[in-house]
Amino acid sequence: MTAPALELDSVSSGYGLAVVVRDVALDIRPGEIFALLGKNGMGKTTLLKTVMGFLPIRSGAIRMSGEDITAEPPHRIARRAIAYTPQEQALFQDLSVEENLALAVRDEARRRDGLRRLGEVFPFIPQRLKQRAGTLSGGEQKMLLIARALMSAPRLVLVDEITEGLQPSVIQKLAAVLKAERERAGTAMLLVEQHVAFVLEVADRYAVLKLGEIVDRGAVADAGAEPRITAQLSV
Amino acid sequence: MSKAPGRAAAMPAALRAGAARRVDTRALVAGSAVALALVAAGPFVLPDFMVNNLIRAFLYAAVALTVDVLWGYTGVLTFGQSAFFGIGVYAVGLIFTHAGFNFEYAALAFAAAVIGAVIVALLVGWLAFYHGASPLYASVVTLVLPIVVTQLLYSGGTFTGSSSGLSGFESFQIELDAWFRIAGAFLVAVTAATWLFVRSDAGRVLVAIRENEPRCEYLGLDVSRIKTWLLAASAVVASIAGYAFASVQMVVAPEYAGFVFGTELVIWVALGGRGTLIGPVVGTLLIDVSTAYLSGNMPFMWKLVIGVTFVLVILAAPEGIGPLAARLLRGGRREGPGAEVPEVRPVADAAPAAGAEGAGAALEVSGVRKRFGSLLVLDGIDFVARRGELLSLVGPNGAGKTTLLRCIADGGERSAGDIVVNGRSIERRPPHECVGLGVGRKFQNANIFDALTVAETIRIAHARVDRPSLWSRSATLDLPQAVLRVLQTTGLDQQLGTRVRHLSHGQKQALELAMVLSLEPSVLLLDEPTAGLTKPERTLIGQILVDLAHTHDLCIVLVEHDLDFVREISSRVIVLHQGRIVLDGTVAEVVDSETVRTIYSGARR
Repeated sequence: MTAPALELDSVSSGYGLAVVVRDVALDIRPGEIFALLGKNGMGKTTLLKTVMGFLPIRSGAIRMSGEDITAEPPHRIARRAIAYTPQEQALFQDLSVEENLALAVRDEARRRDGLRRLGEVFPFIPQRLKQRAGTLSGGEQKMLLIARALMSAPRLVLVDEITEGLQPSVIQKLAAVLKAERERAGTAMLLVEQHVAFVLEVADRYAVLKLGEIVDRGAVADAGAEPRITAQLSV
Repeated sequence: MSKAPGRAAAMPAALRAGAARRVDTRALVAGSAVALALVAAGPFVLPDFMVNNLIRAFLYAAVALTVDVLWGYTGVLTFGQSAFFGIGVYAVGLIFTHAGFNFEYAALAFAAAVIGAVIVALLVGWLAFYHGASPLYASVVTLVLPIVVTQLLYSGGTFTGSSSGLSGFESFQIELDAWFRIAGAFLVAVTAATWLFVRSDAGRVLVAIRENEPRCEYLGLDVSRIKTWLLAASAVVASIAGYAFASVQMVVAPEYAGFVFGTELVIWVALGGRGTLIGPVVGTLLIDVSTAYLSGNMPFMWKLVIGVTFVLVILAAPEGIGPLAARLLRGGRREGPGAEVPEVRPVADAAPAAGAEGAGAALEVSGVRKRFGSLLVLDGIDFVARRGELLSLVGPNGAGKTTLLRCIADGGERSAGDIVVNGRSIERRPPHECVGLGVGRKFQNANIFDALTVAETIRIAHARVDRPSLWSRSATLDLPQAVLRVLQTTGLDQQLGTRVRHLSHGQKQALELAMVLSLEPSVLLLDEPTAGLTKPERTLIGQILVDLAHTHDLCIVLVEHDLDFVREISSRVIVLHQGRIVLDGTVAEVVDSETVRTIYSGARR
């Protein structure tokens, strides 16, 4: 059996004196799409930042493909083929669309191949390669970030609120793209989401975070999953 | 409307706030008393040369304090405070030399120092802080100021004494010991007043300007004016210090107005700890006195010693000595104890916004175009929105929705066309004046004031309606019902003392919404007001918006991608596609139309 793409072993972390994430245990298999749900302020973003090494871990361990990455700095973790797409705009505003992509995907052949695959969902990207990223609209910037993350052919993608600010038709296509990428490259994905319908369509398993602890988890295909998730998010 | 939210937590919160303020006041009174006692006792124990050095250091420290308020609190890096000091110095030198010294001339020189400094400060403020000027530009202007002043002094011939300055004039017949006490008392008074000011509600506005100046504009604050008046006030303090300095030393020289001195002030503030007041004061005193000491004892080595010390301090304490000392006192914690929480008081809702009678049209947009270079983002937008209408703007990503909101909230944005709010054209007005016409805009990305607390942020958003005090902190926070409801719905009412940087993404979005509602606008522009919120929270926010539109006659224009949400709350929908309006109608007409399905929502639903 292969090691999980990402494994959290009772991880706790937080800011200053406050513990925001408590004893979280997770494992994501290669090629699996895992959704992390929860009301806002429950520690979802904090958990992603901890995995990426931006926040120091208090206790527990984080492993990627069986290797311990607990104490590694962010740039070393990123080199292990993790792509992280934060909520805040993380593009280089003064660089062009193409330059932004080139920074993440140096190999030109791979970039061209990525543009061909992802250009179908995000047609504006191949059309406007020379445009300055800062002049794209908010939703377009989000799409460029996602395309950049997928293009770098990572083993693991962490995305914070992938659907926020996107038009409905793009969200539908996005679900198909994520599934196709997983099939093609075996990419594992950890999605932080509020959009329940999207999670039900795209994810294999889910966990609900509440006050920094996992209070519910299961397979999305289970009959009771939808009402359970909806109930967890409304309390 | 809903029940008054007399939360159980409100009382203890108010008590806590009161207690915190009492501790603050006690610290101020005790600190000032100790400082004054030291100043009074100083001449008895200190050697003469030290008394002399300290008089100078006291006056320099007062000027350093003004640098700290401008740079440390407001974010205006200034090299020009020396020029205002120089104005005070030369007011004394010129009048006492050319007119002579008596009581009337002393008063005249004082008036000339203060008025001259204010006039120059207003001029510099007008040049440096106009709407849209970059911070770097402002810093360059403050750097040019002392250079210009020095050049004027050089070219003044015998009148200004050129490069050798003026000396040998008569001045006050006051003993050195008395000057020591005067200068010391002046420094204590200025420090105490500044301390009160930066901790007051108005002082929080300065921090907001430092953190995010454009956002302040959209909260209706005239940032240019605030900065200009702040500069004028700081110029008065600096010129009074210069006046005293020249009166004691009875020597004036162009160096006192020069940019080297102006830059030294910045270094002292950085070493002492910018944004701490006490740090820069103590830093200046230590540096000035030790410089005098060292230059006497090791005339060849002292500059090297000072330079090495500076480097070591910066390496050991990048934030300066003040914050390092404070952290040591707190036992290693970086941030101070939790901020105080004011008591929230709901206020009666204002009458529906006044405007042109009977017209009903709150917002008229006609022929609006917007170009970014060769790219035409908006291509002839025409629509009228009425009071009480909840208008949703939908369209594909990149259709120009956010750009349209920006054009309505900032008169300088559009390339062509006209926008009329409550019967008045917004012309080319900057954002803070558009707020005055009744426009409130919520941004797509929540980037607010990281260093401030939730309560402080909302108070600043409310500052246009409710002017903040210049010297005290209010124990209460008066909020319109709608703001209160948004805070309660999202749990922010329990986190009034939390710093914004610790909020989650969704909470920041909710805080943005609360801020815009605090402006009490009549035309409300909301860019994705519920992004990052869960479905139940969305529904509650939606209800609040519907209430506002119906009971308060607000005109709400919102950009939203969640069509279910749009369907639930809107009275009308406009579809934007490639910079044009392609559909305008009721929810039923638009949301289920073939066009919307093709360009926007996709086939299945």
